[in-house]
Amino acid sequence: MRVHLVRDVLDKQLLDISGQNAGKVDGIVLETRPGALMVVRYIEVGPITLARRINRRLGDWVAQLDARFGEGRGVAIRFPFARVQLESPSLRIDVSAASTPIMAFERWLRRVVVRHIPWS
Amino acid sequence: MKRLLSVALGIVTSIGGFLEIGSITTAAQAGADYRYQLIWAVLLGAICIALLIEMSGRFAAVSKHTIADAVRERFGVHFFLVPLFLLCFVSILVLAAEIGGVAVAIEMITGIHFPVWALPVGLLAWGLLWYGTFSIIENGITLLGLITIAFLIAALQLGPDWHALVAGIAPSLPAKQPSHYWFIAVSILGASVSPYLFYFYSAGAIEEEWDESYLGSNRLVAGAGMGFGGFLNVAVLVVAALVLAPRGISVDKYQQLPLLLSSPWGRIGLGVFALSLFVTCIGATTEIALALAYQIAQGFGWNWGEDLEPSGDARFSLTYTIVLLLATLLVAIGIDPLKLTTLSMALTAASLPVAIIPFLVLMNDRRYLGEHTNGWLGNLSILVVCVLASVVAIVSIPLEIGGGS
Repeated sequence: MRVHLVRDVLDKQLLDISGQNAGKVDGIVLETRPGALMVVRYIEVGPITLARRINRRLGDWVAQLDARFGEGRGVAIRFPFARVQLESPSLRIDVSAASTPIMAFERWLRRVVVRHIPWS
Repeated sequence: MKRLLSVALGIVTSIGGFLEIGSITTAAQAGADYRYQLIWAVLLGAICIALLIEMSGRFAAVSKHTIADAVRERFGVHFFLVPLFLLCFVSILVLAAEIGGVAVAIEMITGIHFPVWALPVGLLAWGLLWYGTFSIIENGITLLGLITIAFLIAALQLGPDWHALVAGIAPSLPAKQPSHYWFIAVSILGASVSPYLFYFYSAGAIEEEWDESYLGSNRLVAGAGMGFGGFLNVAVLVVAALVLAPRGISVDKYQQLPLLLSSPWGRIGLGVFALSLFVTCIGATTEIALALAYQIAQGFGWNWGEDLEPSGDARFSLTYTIVLLLATLLVAIGIDPLKLTTLSMALTAASLPVAIIPFLVLMNDRRYLGEHTNGWLGNLSILVVCVLASVVAIVSIPLEIGGGS
């Protein structure tokens, strides 16, 4: 199948293995090798990549902020492209978003804010 | 049978949800200042929003995308952020106007100045969203909005000049204050063609899992619902022309608005007006806050859905909480709801092309709509009205603020 990266992958909705929204494809990582065609290695998801697309400095600032949330944070969230399935109108990854940093801010909000609001 | 009931409910709720502070105020100003001369603007607004609502329902049913989702996907994140920021800014002003409308309705009954009510009203709207469901918002509150049929009854009872009313269907140049005339005309269009309406409608269609079998009922709901809603808006204008214009009252204070019904019906009329304003504005408040949260959540790919528990879509729920808080603060500091309404409606008209043009591009993309893309007439009519409304708004807003005529 012929895939147009910008049209069919970038900015597409990403679903996790259970069909939950797992963000948009915010970036695509290509690998260049001398004398060979470029290879699509990863897709990137999350505010760091998104902010870097808008402005490099903004991206660095978001990364610094994100790093405060714990070990392993402060870097772009990546998934191997080989594990991404194209299922129109979305793309699907073969893991649960809940187990990845994609949902870290959602989990933090749930724990710090929503949980304290009665009957939520 | 179930589909028939759903269509009937859709039409009824579209009628009940048509009026809100913007459409009531702008139609009242039009009737008070120019009698029947601006009926064409009200009808044009109703036709445009009916076309746009039909398009947004068709888009969601066929492509399985919401508009915000598709704008990000089709045009990329850089472009997506432009309408997002602009529409967020304008929509928060409109949201504040609606919260102001509810607060003013309570002031009409209690006599206590409206800023005091801003926070309780904000809390009420937030509670409906946090603890309620999509059905409560879409069907429950807008169904109560049928009380606005009172304007139609009042208009018929007061006996309009049918000849002048029919003449008002054709656009004509004003005899006085042309810049004010055009400012009101575009404010009417801004009040009717609010982008939040079709963002809300397309998200609703996805929440209710529409498919292509819904295209017929979508057309019926959009056409009949918005059409009858437009007639209610004309009725407000007619009542203003019959009640306010003969007394030389130009609507420049929100306290003058209840005269529309209190003049023919006394204290009962005041109560009916206050209740109409309360119900329609609280309905619009919840819809605008939801539409903003939809737009942001769908654009960034978060979990979203009014039927989910807030713990299931915390970012979405916190987004409508924040926009409600911002708008509530604008009312709490005492900004005049009438001025806020008039300005926000004109700004909505000015920003229409930013919201509408990308949407029209999507409506013509066969990758999303296959054989269900727009026809040239629908494209052209919406494009011309939106661009003209925007240009006239950009010219007339400074003139209106500067007091020019």
